[in-house]
Amino acid sequence: MECNEVLHALILFIDNEIEDATQVQTFQSHFEECPQCLTEMEHERLVLARMKSLLSEECCEQAPEDLQSRIAKQTALLASQMFSPTQVITEYRRTETTINGETHIEIETTHEIRRDFPLS
Amino acid sequence: MAVTLCPMNSELEIRTPAQLLATESVLERTARFERDAMQYTNQLYAAAMRYTKDPHDAQDLVQDTYAKAFTSFHQFEPGTNLKAWLYRILTTTFINTYRKDQRRPLISDGEVEDWQLAASASHTSDQGKSAEDEVLENLPDGDVKRALHEIPEEFRLAVFYADVEGYSYKEIADILGIPAGTVMSRLHRGRKLLRVLLMDYAKNRGFGGSDGM
Repeated sequence: MECNEVLHALILFIDNEIEDATQVQTFQSHFEECPQCLTEMEHERLVLARMKSLLSEECCEQAPEDLQSRIAKQTALLASQMFSPTQVITEYRRTETTINGETHIEIETTHEIRRDFPLS
Repeated sequence: MAVTLCPMNSELEIRTPAQLLATESVLERTARFERDAMQYTNQLYAAAMRYTKDPHDAQDLVQDTYAKAFTSFHQFEPGTNLKAWLYRILTTTFINTYRKDQRRPLISDGEVEDWQLAASASHTSDQGKSAEDEVLENLPDGDVKRALHEIPEEFRLAVFYADVEGYSYKEIADILGIPAGTVMSRLHRGRKLLRVLLMDYAKNRGFGGSDGM
């Protein structure tokens, strides 16, 4: 393995993203033979560890206290909407009867309540 | 050809987690959501700060993420990584709501390639290494976050998920909805840019080595 190949793929080695054990071994053999690449790798590893700890220290903002309760309220509201809505189906029947010129109109209504349980 | 025939047992009923969840009531689902998902509010908020860079937008983003997560919670496969699932929803929510009407120039993945490849194809000088070590050891508070917020969003998110959350390339690829190879190049460039910026800050303060990196 050449130095430039090692240096190009150094990030994969440092991030432990090389799954093939023989390939990892190839890197290690190169580091044994090439002190410059070894120094480079160790420096990169050290810088990365330092950057990781600095980033972790500074990227850990706490959510404001009321955010959690706002989310809880939102969840409760969404849950209540998830219960299948009740459907009321109303049917009208209009009957018009004319006997001897006298019109009689009858309107009949029926309500049907439909409800589905549980949600899918 | 060696084939072992397994008799199919037609009476055997295997209930997958998805089937079990199908019979879960709204109340049960709500309780499970509160128990399992609500513990990540702070981490989601910290992630949302990387996307929006603004505390109010970050709160809205987290709240919207929890709304989407709750309504699709039946699609979450129990036993898999819930936090990563929430991060994925955070990402799509951000893209759909916060970035939709922003005409933002997207950094193409090849743009920073040339100088970056030139920088990585050769050994760096010992002088550069020790100057960098010195700068990193003496960084004032806030420099790293400032630098992280200065680099393009695509790079920032890759760096956040890898170096703060400790996810693998594959996991980051799932969260961000991009190929693992793209994760690697964004991460690589993001880290490089961060280091360049940190050296710049130090130089502007009159600190650090003469040649930087």
